[in-house]
Amino acid sequence: MGLQREIIAPKDPALGVPRNLDLPLSPAIRAGAFVFVSGLVAIDPAGERMHGTVATETRQILAAMTQVLEAAGSSLEKVVKANVLIYSMLEYNNMNEVYREFFPVDPPARTVCGAQLSGGSKVEIECIALA
Amino acid sequence: MREIIAAPAPGLDLRHHYGHHQTVAVRAGGLIFCSGMVAVNPDTGEREHGTVTSEARRIFENLKLLLESAGSSLDRLVQVHAMIYDRIEYDVLNRLYRQFVPNAPPARTVMSVQIEAGFKVMLDVIAAA
Repeated sequence: MGLQREIIAPKDPALGVPRNLDLPLSPAIRAGAFVFVSGLVAIDPAGERMHGTVATETRQILAAMTQVLEAAGSSLEKVVKANVLIYSMLEYNNMNEVYREFFPVDPPARTVCGAQLSGGSKVEIECIALA
Repeated sequence: MREIIAAPAPGLDLRHHYGHHQTVAVRAGGLIFCSGMVAVNPDTGEREHGTVTSEARRIFENLKLLLESAGSSLDRLVQVHAMIYDRIEYDVLNRLYRQFVPNAPPARTVMSVQIEAGFKVMLDVIAAA
């Protein structure tokens, strides 16, 4: 039999976006040594989509990612790979300046792409972390 | 250890049919990493262009063949990158998607990108072996 596969639910119900917005995905899945976190968009404390600048959305997402990873017994320090989608590559630096606050030393491997995002979000970030 | 997983049906070997320099899937560290899958006929390799719904259904059926041949299944998906040609079809994708992963769905990110050969959908997945 293969690896155990476990659904991770964040403690804060506002971050249970898949359930709140009725989307067919889980916030995160732990499988073996890794935690796979779904693409996160900025959500306000009431659980609604938060539309802000690239900087404020990035900050909100990485704060939420911290909580999702903690629910899985992991942390931002254990992220091995992050994928960042932003609505325009012109805003790369605005994302990067906030991102570096959350990963001050030895940041994870990362790919940044300009992409069309759903629901009017400007930023979406997903990651794979060690459990 | 890094183990190459062979195509479970002749049509799914995109390297053979289209010269893509890639393996269908690789097993490593208890996980199965699959190449991006597009809608092809599993017997002939023929491209089956269609709607988001028809392409996604064909991909999930092929993915089921692939994962089950490797000792895994759709229930054991851990991460999905769902790529679609236009975000306006997001809800169309979701409607079909939830039929194939009805319970405890995997982590997922949907991206709106340009996909090879005029396809509308591509799924790039990692599953627990």
